[in-house]
Amino acid sequence: MATALEKPAPTVESLPAGRPRTGLRRYWHLYAAISPFYLLFLCFGLIPVGFSLYVSLHRWDGLGSMEWAGLSQYRYLLSDSDFWQSVGNTIVIWALATFPMIFLAMVTAVMLNSAVRFKNVYRFAYFLPNVTSVVAVAIVFGSVFSTNFGLVNALLQAVGLDQVAWLNTPWGIKIAIATLMTWQWTGYNAIIFLAGLQTIPSELYEAARMDGAGPVQTFFRITLPMLRPVLLFVLVVSTVTGLQSFSEPQVLLQNTANESTFSGGPGHAGRTMVLYFFQQTFDNNDFGYGAAVAWGVFLVVILFSIINWRLVQRRGED
Amino acid sequence: MRLSRRGLLRAGLAGTAATALGGLASGCAVPTGSTGRNMVLWYWDGGLGDTVVRKAKARYEAHVDLQAIKIGGYYRSKLLTTMTGRAHIPDIAGLKGEDMASYLPDADQFVDLRTLGADTYKSRYLPWKWEQGLADDGTMVGFPIDCGPVAHLYQYSVFQKAGLPYEPDDVSRELNTWEKFFAAGEQLRRRIPGTCLLTDITSVFTNVVQQGSKRYVDKDRHFIGDQAHVRDAWALAVEAKQRRIVSDLVTGTPDQLSAVQDGKLPSQLGASWATYDLKSGVPKTKGKWRVAQMPVRPSNNGGSFLSITKACREPEQAFRIITWILNAANQAQGYVDAGLFPSTPATYDMRQLREPDPFFGGQVTTDVFGPAAQKIVVAYNSPYDVALSQPILDEIKNVGVLGKDPEKAWSDAMGKCRRIAKHLGVSY
Repeated sequence: MATALEKPAPTVESLPAGRPRTGLRRYWHLYAAISPFYLLFLCFGLIPVGFSLYVSLHRWDGLGSMEWAGLSQYRYLLSDSDFWQSVGNTIVIWALATFPMIFLAMVTAVMLNSAVRFKNVYRFAYFLPNVTSVVAVAIVFGSVFSTNFGLVNALLQAVGLDQVAWLNTPWGIKIAIATLMTWQWTGYNAIIFLAGLQTIPSELYEAARMDGAGPVQTFFRITLPMLRPVLLFVLVVSTVTGLQSFSEPQVLLQNTANESTFSGGPGHAGRTMVLYFFQQTFDNNDFGYGAAVAWGVFLVVILFSIINWRLVQRRGED
Repeated sequence: MRLSRRGLLRAGLAGTAATALGGLASGCAVPTGSTGRNMVLWYWDGGLGDTVVRKAKARYEAHVDLQAIKIGGYYRSKLLTTMTGRAHIPDIAGLKGEDMASYLPDADQFVDLRTLGADTYKSRYLPWKWEQGLADDGTMVGFPIDCGPVAHLYQYSVFQKAGLPYEPDDVSRELNTWEKFFAAGEQLRRRIPGTCLLTDITSVFTNVVQQGSKRYVDKDRHFIGDQAHVRDAWALAVEAKQRRIVSDLVTGTPDQLSAVQDGKLPSQLGASWATYDLKSGVPKTKGKWRVAQMPVRPSNNGGSFLSITKACREPEQAFRIITWILNAANQAQGYVDAGLFPSTPATYDMRQLREPDPFFGGQVTTDVFGPAAQKIVVAYNSPYDVALSQPILDEIKNVGVLGKDPEKAWSDAMGKCRRIAKHLGVSY
């Protein structure tokens, strides 16, 4: 550091007057340091997004030349009953998966938070489903929900109920997919809730106990309000992932018969928006329309994220 | 040299920037195809015989480094993105049979194999298969790998027990029309309750359509899926459902496999490769099966092609490799390696195809599949067939599985087809 002491480091004042260093020139190395993310995002995020918008205004088979189509793909999208059915399917599956999942995750988190022994074992066990390959999970669930030999029907029959052809009826398909998603995401969200729970100061709980609040009251008056930002985060993330479900129905409902693997089972009951987008693009070779469907998916996801945000936010203002 | 924190940061940044710039610069120089020396071949697992690929590498080693890459996952989308990206395009690309019609409108992305002398090989291959590799203007895009002749696979002892013909020749001869086939299904269900002849309604529908020479859209981009050939197939499929010879199980599910194993689903209309699905899906039924001709006439299901892309620098060399890999002797090896049913009739008499198959009770299955492959009719496959057959296939499935009213299902299917045709610029 001796050299640094001999020669004073240049400062703003020592620069010739009239040429103040701009933010960019002064901090370029800081910008450079954070640039990799933005460059990668530009390359693999923004440019493809822009390109898909461009493609959606054309007719294109993915290989040959593009033909300008204006807004006709979007006009067709609006009147496409298959697309609206896929929107409906997605929302139903999302709701069937998300609400039980959030409830279970919350219960799990509260239990994990109060567990004394084997804490880390539990955390690991609950997180495991989330890092398991969806494809493997879907294959297992496919046999769990199979009609004659599935575990679910075995349980139903054990309590004296009838068999349900889960993967062959519209509601059965939706419930099977939603169960799979719930199973997969409960642990992940429980860990997030747990992190939230641990940020709540223990003084609040002590104060509540002093005031004579029981565990239920404590939960609703302290834990839940304090967890609101975490709840919002979990809801938004679940919405974004749930509305983009693809592998679950695709693997669960594919079959080896001579037909599309993106059709989503009998009556298209399991055809989600992204599955429909895939079918249009890669089965039907209609890249222009596929891109338009993808933008439709984007709008639906945005809409839902706004609704979520407003719901959770407004309650906070009261 | 002293290492200050700032110095380290600068050095790190400079390094990162240099790497990034280097990456960008080399990015500009990404090879669009290969040099003459390197030759890249794309195919998928089971797309070519492994032994044949290995031998081809060794054989052409003196001239080219043949890099054969198995592409996993959704093959077509990967090939399309690579070709559209104009970088690292394979020299030789496998094209799956079911995707073939969709590549043909972009024949200009491939080398016209006629210019390399493909016509001299034509007589050695199945004519209908050869035809499938040609674009509308006659450009030859795909060189035939294999084909998938469909036959009637059935369980010998179940047929015997039901009082049906059970020797392959008798089954071929006596169940040679759909009417006789359905009647046999009814007899089967009467004699052995709880048994269905076929798994699903779709197998009747698709096979009847595929037996004919017309599909859903014709060469003039006109929708023909509402015409007699599709209506008849629809009517037959509905009849199969009404006469209760199809189950409501889904192919490939544990339920279906166990029904097949128990002899509750003793029959399938399966392509040559379906025998491998049977062997892996229901291995315990070994020896119980036989193969006979399907009713009316054989159809085809599957079978792929090799193509040379425009990015290839040495098309002549690539063509030599392709024609060698797909010659009659190597197709016999492909049959042994990967169950690829040869598209070269000369192969059907070779030793490898004359092996008795213990899974089929020692029957020589080529005796059925071989003649079947030669009787398949030429059909025009349109790039719009997939989009415009989907609503019909969906609705026939609804009839089969959900019990939808056939009349309503047909009119729903036609309504959807009309909309899709309009959207795709196909006349209705």
